[in-house]
Amino acid sequence: MTWELFAVFIGSSVRLAVPLLLAGTGELVSERAGVLNMSIEGMMLTGAFGAAVGAWATGNPAVGLLIGIVAVVPIALLQALLSNTLRANQIVTGIGINILVLGATTLGYREIFGARSREQIPGLAKWSPPLLGDIPVFGEAVFQQVWLLYLGIVIIVLTALVLRYTALGIAIHAAGAEPRAADKSGVSVTRIRYMGVMFAGFMSALAGAFLSIGDIHTFTEGMTRGAGYLAIAAVIFGKWTLTGTVLACLLFGAATALQFQLPTLGVNVPNAFLIMLPYLLALLAVGGLAGRQTAPRALGEAYIRR
Amino acid sequence: MTDAMLSSEKRNRAWLRPSVMISISAVVVAGLLGLFLIFAIGVSVSDALSAFIEGTLGSPYAIAASINRSIAFALVGIGFVIANRANLVNVGGEGQIAVGGIAATAVALYGGVADLPAGLPFMIPLLAALIAGMIWASIAGILKIKVGTNEVISTLLLSFIAVWLLYWCVQSPAILRKPMTSSATLPESLEIPDSTKLPLLTGDYSFPVNVGLPATVIIAIVGGLLLTKSLFGVQLRAVGFNPVAASRAGISYSRMVLLALAVAGALGGLAGGFMLLGDQYVLKDGFSSGYGFDGLVAGLLARGSVVGVIAAALLFGFLRSGGINMEMVAGVPTALVMVIQGLIVVTLAGAAFFIGRRP
Amino acid sequence: MRDPTQILTEPLLALQGVTKRFGSLMAVSDTSLDIMPGEVHCILGENGAGKSTLCNLIFGVHAPDEGEMRFRGEIYRPAGPSDALASGIAMVHQHFSLVHDMTVVDNVILGQQRGLVNTRAWAQRLERLANDYGFALDPYAKIDDLSVGERQRVEIIKCLIREPRLFVLDEPTAVLLPDEITALLAVCRRVSAGGAAVVLVTHKLVEIKKAADRVTVLRGGRVVARSNRPAEEIDALVRAMIQGDVKSLDKSAASTLGVGAPERVRNGPIPSETPTLEAVQIDGLTVIDNQGVTRLDHFTLAIGPGEIVGIAGVEGNGQSELAAALSGMLKPSSGRVFLGKLETTYLSPKELTAAGIGVVPEDRHAVGCVVEMSVAENIFLNRLDDFTSFGFLRRKELLGAARELMSRFDVRAAGPGIAFSALSGGNQQKAVLAREITLPKLTCLLAAQPTRGLDVGAVAAVYGHIRAASQRGSAVLLISSELDELIAVADRIVVLYRGRIMGNCAADPSERERIGALMAGQAQ
Repeated sequence: MTWELFAVFIGSSVRLAVPLLLAGTGELVSERAGVLNMSIEGMMLTGAFGAAVGAWATGNPAVGLLIGIVAVVPIALLQALLSNTLRANQIVTGIGINILVLGATTLGYREIFGARSREQIPGLAKWSPPLLGDIPVFGEAVFQQVWLLYLGIVIIVLTALVLRYTALGIAIHAAGAEPRAADKSGVSVTRIRYMGVMFAGFMSALAGAFLSIGDIHTFTEGMTRGAGYLAIAAVIFGKWTLTGTVLACLLFGAATALQFQLPTLGVNVPNAFLIMLPYLLALLAVGGLAGRQTAPRALGEAYIRR
Repeated sequence: MTDAMLSSEKRNRAWLRPSVMISISAVVVAGLLGLFLIFAIGVSVSDALSAFIEGTLGSPYAIAASINRSIAFALVGIGFVIANRANLVNVGGEGQIAVGGIAATAVALYGGVADLPAGLPFMIPLLAALIAGMIWASIAGILKIKVGTNEVISTLLLSFIAVWLLYWCVQSPAILRKPMTSSATLPESLEIPDSTKLPLLTGDYSFPVNVGLPATVIIAIVGGLLLTKSLFGVQLRAVGFNPVAASRAGISYSRMVLLALAVAGALGGLAGGFMLLGDQYVLKDGFSSGYGFDGLVAGLLARGSVVGVIAAALLFGFLRSGGINMEMVAGVPTALVMVIQGLIVVTLAGAAFFIGRRP
Repeated sequence: MRDPTQILTEPLLALQGVTKRFGSLMAVSDTSLDIMPGEVHCILGENGAGKSTLCNLIFGVHAPDEGEMRFRGEIYRPAGPSDALASGIAMVHQHFSLVHDMTVVDNVILGQQRGLVNTRAWAQRLERLANDYGFALDPYAKIDDLSVGERQRVEIIKCLIREPRLFVLDEPTAVLLPDEITALLAVCRRVSAGGAAVVLVTHKLVEIKKAADRVTVLRGGRVVARSNRPAEEIDALVRAMIQGDVKSLDKSAASTLGVGAPERVRNGPIPSETPTLEAVQIDGLTVIDNQGVTRLDHFTLAIGPGEIVGIAGVEGNGQSELAAALSGMLKPSSGRVFLGKLETTYLSPKELTAAGIGVVPEDRHAVGCVVEMSVAENIFLNRLDDFTSFGFLRRKELLGAARELMSRFDVRAAGPGIAFSALSGGNQQKAVLAREITLPKLTCLLAAQPTRGLDVGAVAAVYGHIRAASQRGSAVLLISSELDELIAVADRIVVLYRGRIMGNCAADPSERERIGALMAGQAQ
């Protein structure tokens, strides 16, 4: 493998990992607050669809991104309402929302784009940080990326700081680990959990928008193809830590990048196996490669004051 | 999620009534919303409805096609309900159908079963499908009892893997793809031998309901008895409600989890076998598309009752057939059916709060 | 004691005709209560009398159905604990409100501020306050690594750092050593001396004698007695609490309430026909948890047929691991267990049941029963095979047999088919006992904290069943954190401290102090 190819591999690994990183960070916060947010897949798809329609209709990808975020709000509110206020089974609601969104976006896509399918949609601009972008070989291949990627990195770092150094971070931890204790210490568990789900929705919207208007500049039906579930697997693999989740997402991204890289190297591996690889890795990851898992104690359980 | 069934028959029925009402209202509300959506996208509602009815009840063939779909949904749904009794959520129906279909095709084509005496040529592939689904779901079961992996995540990931495995099988001539004579050779298997196809009940292709129907009815009856009258059913419930107390009382958690998921997977695999040997005859990429999720939704909608599964499976079988015809005739995308299903699940999940399951 | 000039001041908290219902249960009924600033006000009552519900109403966990509360003269209607805290009400909960995988200081910060957190400053403040009250606390320790006593100190500091006007403690002494109880009562006195009011909820009379200015007695959700001179009127208070004469009570049950001196009661003689073979023989049983901590260290004990051996110790000193290892719920790291000649060390729960080990687990709801299932299914949960033919349950027979056991063990329920969750705690425990004691050949009965949370009538019934089992020749291992209970019921007492046996004592009231010292880890 030449340095050029290696640089391209690194660059595409990062690019393919971005939707997982964004959604995974959102899911991590939601799970740390105690809500197992299975609807991440649906939220991503909504974000992707909203952003694509918005960018196409206005011709401005940044407005598209905003519309993608706004489109996810009702979905996230629905998930938050069902899993907190109505204390519904979080797994079932998540799957229901995913089916609903898959149907609704497909329907909407056919209605809006109809015969114009496969149309190119204006996408987000690329940007390259000064200095880093000038490194020979690697500069362009690795750092020349959609600006949303850099915004995402900033948000992830901010999230880490909030979880680590603020009262909100302590409250999120408590709401997921011991909601009763949090409640009796004067923290509103419901509010924290609503916020967690809303944040997951926001991050998923960014992730979805990255897929549609950041990466391939078009929308396809069900284009998330299980990325949301991979993000959930990344949180488990990362043992509910932000660093672990980020590393897991990068690993899944690299596994996806292999699909495009190995054939160019002349390595003859069946394409189907390579497409399967991230899911296989995720299965191995949640199946004990990560060791015994320590989820937040109250994960997935609605809180009832008693 | 797990339905609090009390042992006394009387309470059982009293408890079920409001939930049946809720299920029915969820379906009705979602259906009305579907009508509204048809209206909203500018299609004549009467055209759409007549296309829908034409596609479901318009001909013996349409009815049979709907029933054949319902069979797959029912099997996956019954498996879901059984596993759910142990508080397990099997969302891997899709993958279990896929591996069932792969196994059935492989055995029917290359297992040397075609010339065996009566019945065996299709029964052996069915058995292979059942075992394949069972093994596939058991992977999730083993992960659950060995490392505590949440079965929702593992069965989902296994589904994705199975779907790509199916793609691999029909893409690679070394596996199940039919010999490539030209670059135009479709990525699919050969057609299975006639002797391995499931016999039709009427023997008439204008009403192609096969022996899968009576088999499913028998499975439903056995499943219902298992859940309500057997020791196994009580043990499943005990493990589902309180695994620690159950194991202290000598009911092995590991054993029950493994059994419950194996049964669910076996039924999913069998559904794949029925679809392939009774209906499709050729293994294609995406042949299981959406069937697993429909079965899952049927299981959810049934709220723990096998009769409910049958009703929901029939509903979805006809809904799907009608939806396909609506797309072809009236130009309403089939995705509408998905929207309706999603709405049903979400409404039901939220409605549980109002039934007041918890005191 | 209370400053007499304060008697005429306004009450800090006034409850007027407060009622709270849960379904058909009247948890608190038409209760009126005044809490004065600067007093230690004890709420006395049995388990189930409504004490905890009353606390939860004050703390905003529940809202009253009827009646009103006034705090400092203003109408007080908290929507949740955060409102109570904002008003200056802090509460030490029976089940601590701590996050186990967080540090002490993070637990103290929780709910106290917004924005960026200066952990160092909080830690210093916390240490200063702890030193002030005379306890040592490491602000950076994880709650998981602390003993029960230390956890309670965190819970107390967490309240005190808010400088509350009203300090509520719900059964704070249930888990403490005698010395720790004395220290806690001193904290209460000090807080009240500073002008705040303290509400101390308890069912123990010693605490009333030591600390209370005034007492309100609850029974069945109602106020049944009040006293401004509790130390002198203690007998009347007890009579009100249990609705009956102390003398009519089962003596062991009475002594565990702290009514009169602890008393030993043994009905029959110990069957002492030369125990050639011990019923139970435990040799060097050791449990190491998955963090590598030794939870039970070479535990060795022999129990003869008909003998009742008590295991004393503060909770968390290896009792749970001992019970789990003996009941097949935990594989010991080393050591052996024999039941007669049969080695049972690695048998599964099912095999242990067949071998004749009955287990009344410490956590009834988590291990003892499946509350969502019927009473009948619970009573025969470990013997459902007996009611099965060809895989199908003979339900009628099951219900009939359950009905019979329910009447024998006085399990009060509408019928064997109703959900176990509909039973009161006492009836649930009687049902669990019925299941475990009626094993075909009960060689050994293992009962862990069997009377926790029960009212005095149920306590007496539980003791009766345990004694009956021993008289039929079963060896009994009774694990309890209530020393008086062990003295009253056991034949001899073994003290556990940090997983090790600290000493063997006679179950005699005169040994009380020595046992207390051993429980605190002080070897003689």
